[in-house]
Amino acid sequence: MISVKNITKYFGRHEVLKDISLEIAPQEVVVIIGPSGSGKSTFLRCMNGLESVSKGEIFVNQAEITHSKTNLSLVRKEVGMVFQRFNLFQHLSVIENVTIGQVQVLKKSKQEAEKRAYELLDKVGLQEKAKAYPEQLSGGQQQRVAIARALAMNPIVMLFDEPTSALDPEMVGEVLAVMKDLAREGMTMVVVTHEMGFAREVGDRVLFLDEGRIVEQGTPEQIFNHPQEERTQLFLSKIL
Amino acid sequence: MNFWPIVLDAMPQLLEGARLTILYSIAAVFFATILGLVFALFKLSSVSILRGIGQGYVHIFRGLPLLVLIFYIYFALPSVFPLQVWFGNKYMIMAGITALALNEGAYITEIIRAGILSIDRGQTEAAMSIGMTNFQTMRFIILPQALKRMVPPLVNQFIQTIKDTSLLSAISVAELTRRGQMIISVNFAGLQIWTAIAIVYLVIILSLTALSSYIERRWQVDQR
Repeated sequence: MISVKNITKYFGRHEVLKDISLEIAPQEVVVIIGPSGSGKSTFLRCMNGLESVSKGEIFVNQAEITHSKTNLSLVRKEVGMVFQRFNLFQHLSVIENVTIGQVQVLKKSKQEAEKRAYELLDKVGLQEKAKAYPEQLSGGQQQRVAIARALAMNPIVMLFDEPTSALDPEMVGEVLAVMKDLAREGMTMVVVTHEMGFAREVGDRVLFLDEGRIVEQGTPEQIFNHPQEERTQLFLSKIL
Repeated sequence: MNFWPIVLDAMPQLLEGARLTILYSIAAVFFATILGLVFALFKLSSVSILRGIGQGYVHIFRGLPLLVLIFYIYFALPSVFPLQVWFGNKYMIMAGITALALNEGAYITEIIRAGILSIDRGQTEAAMSIGMTNFQTMRFIILPQALKRMVPPLVNQFIQTIKDTSLLSAISVAELTRRGQMIISVNFAGLQIWTAIAIVYLVIILSLTALSSYIERRWQVDQR
């Protein structure tokens, strides 16, 4: 589904990603953990071309997004993304946030788009907020709308960039619940997070990233209970 | 000193001048906004040639005194191109509006650019992440939000444009100031007529100010 081959990424002279390779299978839930500054968000953002890579190749469903001739908009509509700071369109109501991509990018009719949008808002438990504007919602509600907005494009894979890091603690649960549902339905997901409970419960595979390298990967059981690498052990001892 | 009889006598002339002042201002702002939008997008472009063109435009037309620009287009350009042959009497008005539009457009370029830059980068990323093209992102996500923030400085610029049309009197465009001068050259009632002209300008500009604060209030209620 996503195939990352030997990518390297520089910010100026600083090498943030060092020769990373990764294969993600359909329906797999990959959780990326690691200290801040380890490059995990950058890595995720490379997977839909929001960041360019300096070297290496990334394929999404056979399309090489690192190739300069590839039309990134076509690839991006198949790759949903949820941001740490939600990034809902501030000037649009909740329902418009969820329909605008369907109408403008997928060229659906307004009625069709709204029907789908209401289904998705129902799924994330926010149908009654359809007419509200983002700033009238709590952080947790905004993030659930953002998930609905991404799902409205019928993506084949969903990327989550620390989706609960900007939330008040009591709102983390509602967002994780929606994500768990998605995983259960078989959505392919790549999740950058500090929520180790979520990683353990939902992840098929956990990647530990440090200083731009994949230090260790394995099942949640392997990583959390029997980490092999010293750096992984050190990191886990600090946060668990 | 018989103020009212003189002013009332001159009023039809002055109002006709005021009508043209408003008309030319609207035309200038219309073209200036198009120029401003185009060059703002140029300046924000990832293509360095376009950025250079945008920068050059702003530097030149913000740098030239407006009166010099008006004279340049009206007096100097026709010696290179036979513009007065092509356009006849209309060239005077065209030159005036062109000069105004080029000058105001340079300021509007910076207003629009600042408005666009003030929108959080996350909005662009979110739009791109659902597959919008650069054009769609600008059209549906960034500009609608930026426009709201641009209204106060744009209104300022519109007011500036209305006042700047008075410079067109220097090339005999029959707008408000020029009409006044013509009346005074006949009746020599400078105090009365200049007072009337000042009041007409103030009425035009204060009405515009009132309209713009109404628009700002409505947008806030609607969308915030």
